[in-house]
Amino acid sequence: MMNSMNDLLEELKKLFGNFEVQEIDEREVKIDVESDKVVGILTTLKSKGYSHLSLLTCVDWINENKFELIYILYSWQNGCKFIVATWIERKNPKFVTVMNLWPVARFYEREIHEFFGVEFEGNDDMKPLILELWDDIPPLRKDFDPLEYSKKKFPGRQYDKDVIQEALIFRGDKNG
Amino acid sequence: MEKSFFAPVKAWKFLFEKPVTIKVPKEKRKASERYRGFHINDWDKCIGCGTCSKVCPTDAIQMVEVPVLEKKFGEKPQRPSIDYGRCSFCAMCVDICTTGSLQMTREYVHLSSQPEAFIFVPTEKGIKNVENVEIGWIKDEDSELLELERVEMEMIEAEERVKSFIEYVKGYSKEQAIHEAARCVECGICTDRCPEHMDIPEYIKSIWLDDLEEGLRWLYKTNPLSSVCGRVCTHRCEEVCAISNRGEAVAIRWLKRYIVDNVPSEDYMKILNFNPKPKEERIAIVGSGPAGLSAAYFLATMGYKVDIFESLAKPGGVMRYGIPRYRLPDEALDKDIALIQALGVRIFTNTTIGKDIKLEELKEKYDAIFVSTGFTLGRSTGVPGTDHPKVVQALPLLKDIRDYLRGEAPKPEIPETLVVIGGGNVAMDVARSVARLQKMEYGKVNVKLACLERNFEEMPADMEEIIEGKEEGVEFYPGWGPIRIMIEKDEIKGVEFQKCLEVFDSDGKFNPKFDANNKMILQGDMVVEAIGQAPDYSYLPEEIKSKLQFIRGRILTNEYRQTDIPWLFAGGDIVNGPDIIHGVADGYWAARGIDDYLSSKERS
Repeated sequence: MMNSMNDLLEELKKLFGNFEVQEIDEREVKIDVESDKVVGILTTLKSKGYSHLSLLTCVDWINENKFELIYILYSWQNGCKFIVATWIERKNPKFVTVMNLWPVARFYEREIHEFFGVEFEGNDDMKPLILELWDDIPPLRKDFDPLEYSKKKFPGRQYDKDVIQEALIFRGDKNG
Repeated sequence: MEKSFFAPVKAWKFLFEKPVTIKVPKEKRKASERYRGFHINDWDKCIGCGTCSKVCPTDAIQMVEVPVLEKKFGEKPQRPSIDYGRCSFCAMCVDICTTGSLQMTREYVHLSSQPEAFIFVPTEKGIKNVENVEIGWIKDEDSELLELERVEMEMIEAEERVKSFIEYVKGYSKEQAIHEAARCVECGICTDRCPEHMDIPEYIKSIWLDDLEEGLRWLYKTNPLSSVCGRVCTHRCEEVCAISNRGEAVAIRWLKRYIVDNVPSEDYMKILNFNPKPKEERIAIVGSGPAGLSAAYFLATMGYKVDIFESLAKPGGVMRYGIPRYRLPDEALDKDIALIQALGVRIFTNTTIGKDIKLEELKEKYDAIFVSTGFTLGRSTGVPGTDHPKVVQALPLLKDIRDYLRGEAPKPEIPETLVVIGGGNVAMDVARSVARLQKMEYGKVNVKLACLERNFEEMPADMEEIIEGKEEGVEFYPGWGPIRIMIEKDEIKGVEFQKCLEVFDSDGKFNPKFDANNKMILQGDMVVEAIGQAPDYSYLPEEIKSKLQFIRGRILTNEYRQTDIPWLFAGGDIVNGPDIIHGVADGYWAARGIDDYLSSKERS
């Protein structure tokens, strides 16, 4: 880990208390922080040069009954990345928006709302971003069964076409 | 800024330039390099395992039978058909493909108003019959969905294990077993290969779900010798495992062992809950090896009264007296036999049919007889000197060693230097057993093994036996045939060999050719011949023998292991061979045959 990142980590710990640190490589570090400290830590990191929100995403940890929200911050000054992760309840999932820090978060939050069902307080733009006429639970939740949905939504059909015959002709096993 | 008067005229030059737009549909825009387009499937690589169909999240892939495909082990005669009305082009089918035959192309244009025109069985020419289709999505390390490496089995190191006969394969822990079970794709190609057609994906899934009682029920549906087979099965299943096409086969044998080792034997009867309707008929079984025990188990679960006759002091046949203890401890075998006895099967040991009781007498007391007497006679190379008392046969020696280890016989004479002749698993058993005895007695190993087969691949022994034997200090000399045993003053000094050039002739017949000018001497003060075994039919009266058909020493039966004499069934090495699981299968089919025979007799 770069010295500057280490110094910044120490500073964050002084301000926000201890948290778990996972070094991914020389220029990338992941920290797991409590939910109520996320905005403070993001604000501090932003002011220290980690000004670019590269990604805001979510992971469904269904067995733990939690969602993990992940913010990836990038510094254009030294090319380093901070991955800030926090766990929220999976039932009635709610978090605060970071639109005021990064306007682009509006779209990331819309996407997470659409695919995981997480509400972001302060972001009033929760219209679906990608899917049309979606009529089931958010599809990136682990309890969504794509196969079952597919079968329900698009019942199987019978084909009369002799697909094997066609394939054998393609392969030259049979003359057309 | 003043614009040039001629500026608009400049635009005219574009009249003569090529347009930057593409004339769709006359021209096609090329898809990106890793595009997930229509599929391509190499039929020669594809094994029809159906894993693509199972992983498909949109139910777009169905496996279709291809009648013209050759039926062979390790393959199913079916290929995937893809409904492009359903496909979401996620590429999971490609990422999980066990062989790597399925890939995606950079083709993406297909137009039709007919729904019928959206289903295809992709071939090497994609779905559009085009030679050399450009490939798009190819799986890489990151997208790979299979775990290609097996969970390593812990074994005692060679230096340590050669000091004793302790079982050196430790067995999987729960975490290891569940991890290994998760590698299975449940294609069932293994089941087709297993001579006994065990429900392998089903019991592996039970392990994954951590439901060992269910796993035990699956095992005992087809195999009452699971504790034995979980250790020493020749595991043909693993040779065809779909994962082995690109990685290491699922450790099916060790997973079977994990189930039997982790269910307490006192719970077996409760879990398996046999509830047969008792039948009147009595069946005699001659020989308590794998086939005999298997037949007894299946007959007992059908409600028949079964008696087994065994000429040796303990039941188990080759499992008790042949296979060394470091691979198959007595306790593992006892566990399997105890369950069979608990079903009411009686085992009479020290009772030789043909000597203590005549086969004809047996026929009078029983309604049907199953003979599974095995290959008990050793074969000799017959070279000069083999009549010396210190040139011994493999099976009697292995029996003496096992009896000694059980404390039932005196210590056999342990040679300081030994020459083993033979390249099969029995030769390995002798070499590795004597290596242990030597280590225990003299502190060092001196075993040399020579065989006709010219290299390790040609040798019939399992590769792991050869590798492990080597680790334990056994020296291998493949490609040598014995000429004579060297004897001086009545003492064995060694064996003289000549180079073997070829074991089988062009017709595949055993017809070894030698170079008499290329000779070698291996020193040793004892020689073991382990070049194969033969059946002993002396218990069969002439009158019966004359009615049976023998093919190369084996008894001919129908698929229900029924001989030409309706009440006489046979199985094991004397019918099929060559291993335990084939014996178990013989027992199973014989039990069904005997049941059919007795039921039809009842009716008539």
